[in-house]
Amino acid sequence: MLAIPSSIVKNMVAHSRELAPHECCGILSGTESTITECYRITNILAELSEQELTRFDGAKLSDLQRLSPEERADIAFQMDAREMAMAQRDIRSKSLDLLGFYHSHTFSPARPSQTDITIAMEFESYRAKLNFPEPFHLIISLEQMEQPVVRAYRIQESKATEVPIHTLP
Amino acid sequence: MIKVRIPTPLRPMTGGKSEVEIAGNTVSEIIDNLGSAHPGIKERVYDEQGEIRRFINIYVNEEDIRFLTGKDTPLKDGDEVSIIPAIAGGS
Repeated sequence: MLAIPSSIVKNMVAHSRELAPHECCGILSGTESTITECYRITNILAELSEQELTRFDGAKLSDLQRLSPEERADIAFQMDAREMAMAQRDIRSKSLDLLGFYHSHTFSPARPSQTDITIAMEFESYRAKLNFPEPFHLIISLEQMEQPVVRAYRIQESKATEVPIHTLP
Repeated sequence: MIKVRIPTPLRPMTGGKSEVEIAGNTVSEIIDNLGSAHPGIKERVYDEQGEIRRFINIYVNEEDIRFLTGKDTPLKDGDEVSIIPAIAGGS
């Protein structure tokens, strides 16, 4: 179970809608399994040169290379590393933990894609060495714009397992 | 020597190795020497202006070098440098 205040759920949905059709992304902090803060992070993918797309895997890379830089952000995101570091610093100064990452799927369901799983496993490979706790991965789907869906997952051993969300008042 | 952690996307340039040992007294020297030993890496870490690219964080032990003294951050034996791309994904 992951507890999230309704104000943060609304904030993530609003962020997703504001950036649509681009994917949005951000960081969530809190303690144990309760989210208390949300940081919007810039999706820099639209600004990346083609060379920098190589962190994406084969099929995704092919898809991305077919699109213009502006369109690439519709199907993928890359967090701004500086903003991510600033958020991590703020989280630490408040004695909170980095509990999760969120991003939107503009045109697809709220479940992790193969790319999401691959990159989550990449994060998993160095997370403990940098002293980060195991993150929740949240996805906001705007597949039905009027009825956004928010779901949370743990991703372990290349497998995503949904975690129920309890929305706090 | 300093242990440097190499992220998955850069491992083709280190022959698949996830960690390499590199000599250097600062982060900048480490990246320079890493680039000499494994051509192509430096260009992936720095942009055309020689600044760390916007999707890369470099940590010394558990601290981001942006909150130390950046590329001039001094290193001592036993320190570990991690090159970490920021979280990404896609639908």
